[in-house]
Amino acid sequence: MALLLLAFTPFLGITPIDPGRIFQDSANSFIFWHLRVPRTILGFVAGAILALSGLVCQNLFKNNLATPDLLGISSGAAAGAVIALKFKLHLSFLGNGGAYIFSYLGAISAVLFIFMVARLIKNSSLYTFLMSGVAINFFYASVIVFFQYIFDYSDTFSLLRWLMGGISVAGYGEIVFLFCLLVVFLVLVFSFKKEFLLVSAGDDFAQSRGLNVANFRIYSFLGLSFFVGAVVSTCGPIGFIALVVPHVSRSWGKSHYNETVAFTFLLGGSLLVLADLLARTLIPPVDIPVGIVTALLGAPFFLLLLIAQLKKTD
Amino acid sequence: MIEVAGLSYFAGARPLLQELDFTVNKNDFVLIFGQNGAGKSTLLKILAGLVPAGKGEVSLNGRNIAGYSKKELATLLSYLPQSDEFGLPILVKDILLAGRYPYRSIFKKPSDRDREIFSAGVERFGLADLLQRNMQTLSGGERKKVLLATAFIQDVPIILLDEPVNFLDPGSTVQLIQMLKSLHQSGKTILVVSHEIEHFFPCANKMLALKNGRLSYFGRKIFSPELFQEIFQVDFQRTFFGGREIIFVNE
Repeated sequence: MALLLLAFTPFLGITPIDPGRIFQDSANSFIFWHLRVPRTILGFVAGAILALSGLVCQNLFKNNLATPDLLGISSGAAAGAVIALKFKLHLSFLGNGGAYIFSYLGAISAVLFIFMVARLIKNSSLYTFLMSGVAINFFYASVIVFFQYIFDYSDTFSLLRWLMGGISVAGYGEIVFLFCLLVVFLVLVFSFKKEFLLVSAGDDFAQSRGLNVANFRIYSFLGLSFFVGAVVSTCGPIGFIALVVPHVSRSWGKSHYNETVAFTFLLGGSLLVLADLLARTLIPPVDIPVGIVTALLGAPFFLLLLIAQLKKTD
Repeated sequence: MIEVAGLSYFAGARPLLQELDFTVNKNDFVLIFGQNGAGKSTLLKILAGLVPAGKGEVSLNGRNIAGYSKKELATLLSYLPQSDEFGLPILVKDILLAGRYPYRSIFKKPSDRDREIFSAGVERFGLADLLQRNMQTLSGGERKKVLLATAFIQDVPIILLDEPVNFLDPGSTVQLIQMLKSLHQSGKTILVVSHEIEHFFPCANKMLALKNGRLSYFGRKIFSPELFQEIFQVDFQRTFFGGREIIFVNE
């Protein structure tokens, strides 16, 4: 399904693409190879990373509402990128320049804040982590609003557009970087299967089987900030994928860890590609920010899912 | 084996456990009981090395428990928490293999010993038909059985259980207690926190009674109506049926 989606989506859009002309020197070929294909791949890779981050987050917190968005990792990354944009700061990392380093620093600062609060409070629980995340989320949201306010009018508009999330891209540079991150992410999630499964059984159970849960949690979050920071710096904050997709993966009764991870990865990628297709075809010629579409579709879908689950448990 | 000296624990300024001293020997079966909030679960977590002692010392085989690494500790004792909820879909096979975690490194495949004890655990606890099932779809009794099997597969001398028969039907309760008895007979040291005194009293050889965080009794198992009255404010009675010791609350 995901492969079919990846194969056909680049042909769909306001400008119809003739499959017979994509290898000829034409406007069609340019749109296809330089705009649509990279956009589709970027959508898939970003969606997959976001969905996997949601799955990891929810497992680490044993809470189905815990996502990089709720914990302030995404808004930290967004605030980092906004500051970089405002002050025109550029640093390059593995060939990926622009706001990425600042996004990552924003995301990592949110994680460090959460762990600092947890260290300060004796007997802190997962609830402490979550609440600290909610607090830092509000803090970074205010930082973003502050910079929005002090930006001049034209900058504010482009910033607002970026904050709504979008996956329009030209060329493949950023995609290669994100794709490599996705591969690393998948390798880590499969390599640390034993640890993730232990954590899913609860901290006490995991620790009594020899896992240093506190260390595992902090390394996982540092890794998450790396991946989420990369997506946010490239696409802006895109909500709901990290919340909805893991929820669907678990509710659809996949009983095996490997299946759940694979399903999350494929569904996350496909969902963002579909949302982007809607975003660019719903009101032609307007290219709606994809973050608006994921929120518009995600919120009612999530509610329907909750209602269906409640009915099942009644 | 486990020595506790002057152990106290505080939640903020409130003392949960105060000045506890006792020693658990090899192959003891200790029943820990007390009213709700007496500090039983906290005590068990401290003994399992999950919560640091506030004051005093807990030693395991003559060494302070705080000095053990998580992996070292996991080769000596296994703790089964009250909760058996899972955040991710997890196969019974995978949770059983998790018992071998302290002996394995990241990319290492299971060793012959891992496989051997895994098979022994599956056979002993009758789990062959459940291996490919999702833990979330098992009944409460089946889940507890699987978790107890992980402790067996973990191959540790000490097993600590917090309310292992909570919410279980009578059939599953009896089955689980039989399994615990057989583990005890095979040489394991077992510590159980439970309100189900009627079920565990006959299997235990020692008991530990807590009242408001203080030790009311620790020692050889005795049927003491006065002690039960002091702890629970109800009358317990004892009878023997077919050679079996049965205690019950006299309402």
